[in-house]
Amino acid sequence: MKPEKNIEEFVKSEKPHVTTGGAMDERTLGDSFTAMDETIRAGKPSAAGIILRSRAAKLAAAAVVIVTISFFIVYPGPGEKDEIGEVPKVAASPADMQSILSLNIAYRQGGLDAVDRQCQIATEMLGPRPAETTIEKMLMEFNGT
Amino acid sequence: MIDEKILVWKFNRGSKDAFQMLYEKYKDDLLGLAITLLRDRSLAEDVVHDVFVSFAGTTGSFHLSGTLKGYLSTCVANCARDRNRLRSRRDVGLDAAEGMGSDSGDPVEHAIDSEQSGRLTQLLGRVAYEQREVIVLHLHQEMRFKEIAEALGISINTAQSRYRYGLEKLRSIINSMVTK
Repeated sequence: MKPEKNIEEFVKSEKPHVTTGGAMDERTLGDSFTAMDETIRAGKPSAAGIILRSRAAKLAAAAVVIVTISFFIVYPGPGEKDEIGEVPKVAASPADMQSILSLNIAYRQGGLDAVDRQCQIATEMLGPRPAETTIEKMLMEFNGT
Repeated sequence: MIDEKILVWKFNRGSKDAFQMLYEKYKDDLLGLAITLLRDRSLAEDVVHDVFVSFAGTTGSFHLSGTLKGYLSTCVANCARDRNRLRSRRDVGLDAAEGMGSDSGDPVEHAIDSEQSGRLTQLLGRVAYEQREVIVLHLHQEMRFKEIAEALGISINTAQSRYRYGLEKLRSIINSMVTK
């Protein structure tokens, strides 16, 4: 009889060659098509289902999320952009510069109240003067000397 | 292989033509597997029918990781095992074996086919079902032991030992027949 090593070849060579009958084909295909129709009628898969099932869709969804997050991190929002764009105006003269500096110092020291107080003092200093007051006298009062 | 992937892709989109082509491609092979495992043609036809109907119900969501032949063979093996457990323990014997073979074609060829398929089936019928299952899946369906182990839910070592003991049993059966 066949040696042990030939048993495999024997089994392979004895593989049954059978064919299905027409009745079986008809029954199987009919029932299968019915099952397909029922599955299709039951509802098409949702977008989330497609993403979860398909590897390519998973990668695409992940890429979209990463690009979106990166965009918001790198690209500044409109509010931030405006803040960056606000540049203090340069004073036109030494007198204005001093005034801006003094207001700035007042704001840092006492906030808006300090600025308001300083403006009030300036208004009092620049308030109405008698008609007979000379320019020289006014300048002396403004300069404090 | 690429054609098969395309057919599966079309089937997943509801193409009945693609399904029919897949059915035509594998039906005879799967029926032979089921007959070898169950030694009963009508039961084997039911198994193949159930497997294809179940497969058809997965349209739209079917995901193929390996080969379709391996997938369908695994389904047939699992379904056949369930049927084998359910059916009565009576010996099928020669009556069922006589019903095997092709349904159509040349009568002489039919007789040869029937005789050949019946001979191996009778011999394998004397081997334990678990061993027969592994032998047929490996030698006829060309599945690797790793695939068989995953399909049957056993370890690779178990699959290999079942295969080895099954072949040993088959050899001893054949030898005993010759010496008589």
